[in-house]
Amino acid sequence: MNAERRIWGQLRDDPAGLAGLVVVGLFLLVAMAVWLGLIGQDWSAADGARWETPGPDHWFGTNILGQDIFERAIYSVRTAFEIGLVVAVSSTLLGALLGALAGWYSHSWVDGAILWLKGVLDSIPFYLFVAAVAFALQGKGWAMHVAMIATFWTTTGRLVRAEVMKLKTREFVLAARTIGLPDALILGRHVLPNTIHILLVQASIAFVAAIKTEVILSFLGLGVQDGVSWGLMLAESTQEVLAGHFSNFLAASLMLFALLMGFNLLADALQDAFDPKQASQ
Amino acid sequence: MKSPVLAVRDLSVFLQDGGQPRAVVDTISFELHEGEILALVGESGCGKTKTAEALMGLVPTAAGSIELCGTNLAALPEARLRRVRGRDISMVFQEPLTALDPVFRTGNQIADVFRRHRGLGRAEARRAALEMLQRVGFADAGHVLRSYPHELSGGMRQRVVIAMAMACRPRVLVADEPTTALDVTTQAQVLARLTEMAGEAGTAILLITHDLGIVAHYCDRAAVMRMGRIVEQAGVDQLFAQPQHPYTAALLGAARGNLLS
Ligand SMILES: Nc1ncnc2c1ncn2[C@@H]1O[C@H](COP(=O)(O)OP(=O)(O)OP(=O)(O)O)[C@@H](O)[C@H]1O
Ligand SMILES: [Mg+2]
Repeated sequence: MNAERRIWGQLRDDPAGLAGLVVVGLFLLVAMAVWLGLIGQDWSAADGARWETPGPDHWFGTNILGQDIFERAIYSVRTAFEIGLVVAVSSTLLGALLGALAGWYSHSWVDGAILWLKGVLDSIPFYLFVAAVAFALQGKGWAMHVAMIATFWTTTGRLVRAEVMKLKTREFVLAARTIGLPDALILGRHVLPNTIHILLVQASIAFVAAIKTEVILSFLGLGVQDGVSWGLMLAESTQEVLAGHFSNFLAASLMLFALLMGFNLLADALQDAFDPKQASQ
Repeated sequence: MKSPVLAVRDLSVFLQDGGQPRAVVDTISFELHEGEILALVGESGCGKTKTAEALMGLVPTAAGSIELCGTNLAALPEARLRRVRGRDISMVFQEPLTALDPVFRTGNQIADVFRRHRGLGRAEARRAALEMLQRVGFADAGHVLRSYPHELSGGMRQRVVIAMAMACRPRVLVADEPTTALDVTTQAQVLARLTEMAGEAGTAILLITHDLGIVAHYCDRAAVMRMGRIVEQAGVDQLFAQPQHPYTAALLGAARGNLLS
């Protein structure tokens, strides 16, 4: 009943998890402030000289075009959260839906079709797939989202399928059938809610993976098209680092590192707190 | 005599056991009349649970008919069957903890039956669920309504399951070892409440058990099952006094042996 209170209680006694919570919380606040237009709006204005060193006007200095690196790094927080959340939520929901259908109708043609699709997607090299999707979508900014969602759901799908196959022989699911509930209602209300522990873990994995993948894709020129991201900043910095200018590189990689580190600490702590074996104690 | 509410004829269930399909329920026939309690007894693995699941349409029947008030359930498509389940025939499972959804408040699980079969709205269904909980004997029904299964004791959970099963006053209740998981005192309370409610509603019960004490105390007739077949069927008094089949005699003998030791 007091699941929230119990999870909070466990988190409070876990300094690493608490640190993760604080870091992720700060990043989230920054992302929301950018989203609301409060900060980070001048990321594209070239209002400085080329490669200015950090100072009161430009805290992290400027890049080759004279753009403020602090503004760009801050705006990239929003980009990261947007990609992380969209991909995590969509791929987890898709995996839950397809996995539940495959598990519920296991060994039927529905299951066969979903497993076939999963097999195909899993066997295509990821970056080739993204490039193909990006090409097919003519360089649209969301090609990257589509490619990640289309490939990230498969792990969730496999785990949910196995769990649903277990759940559907459980007595409370049989009981739901004996009171005459239709399949869709049983799946939606009694089966899927009992896979929530899998979904939460998978969503947090997808969140981290999406942010990391965005950096690599943007670095390769397959990612963010209009806007700025840590990946684009790192791509810029390859020229600059050779010339001895480290601001872009340090700002982007340190913020990326801090966010992912914080999120991993938080996710680990939450996973412990959600562990059903501990919940029954 | 009035026509039976449930007439099972030559019912068979096959299961894939390794390679060969095997009849775990083998051409069994029995009848159940209004308000009657029929015991189904037999050793572990003889097919009692599979019989119950076949009656509910949870496992496919290979042959035979299951006539509930004149309708053959074995021939009904799933969609029609769903309207019958929970309304005209319902089931109580052996293990009340696993028969309730762990992440669902008990009240909502009972309310689902009313929403489904009586077409009640959310608030009305909730009120009906509360009333049902009072009828199965909860003094603080309001509290139970808002509880999750793990917050209740075994006996309380089984009464919740009974409230669900009896919600629509079904014609037939299939109870698969409803009290095996409970201690003796709770067992008696739950069975007394169950049979009382069934009596009021005119519900006939197929009571699956291996406890001959329960058979003697609560049941009108008994069917003895062995290796998928019903080997003997008789009124309880007659069965205990003059068992016809050697297996029944052995079962009774074993039970007496237990009492003596
Ligand atoms: N999924 C299955 N696949 C194959 N065989 C099964 C399956 N489930 C049960 N059986 C077999 O079917 C037979 C009947 O099982 P059933 O569960 O009906 O027994 P039971 O009389 O209810 O026993 P108990 O008193 O232990 O509950 C058993 O021999 C069992 O081994
Ligand atoms: Mg059984």
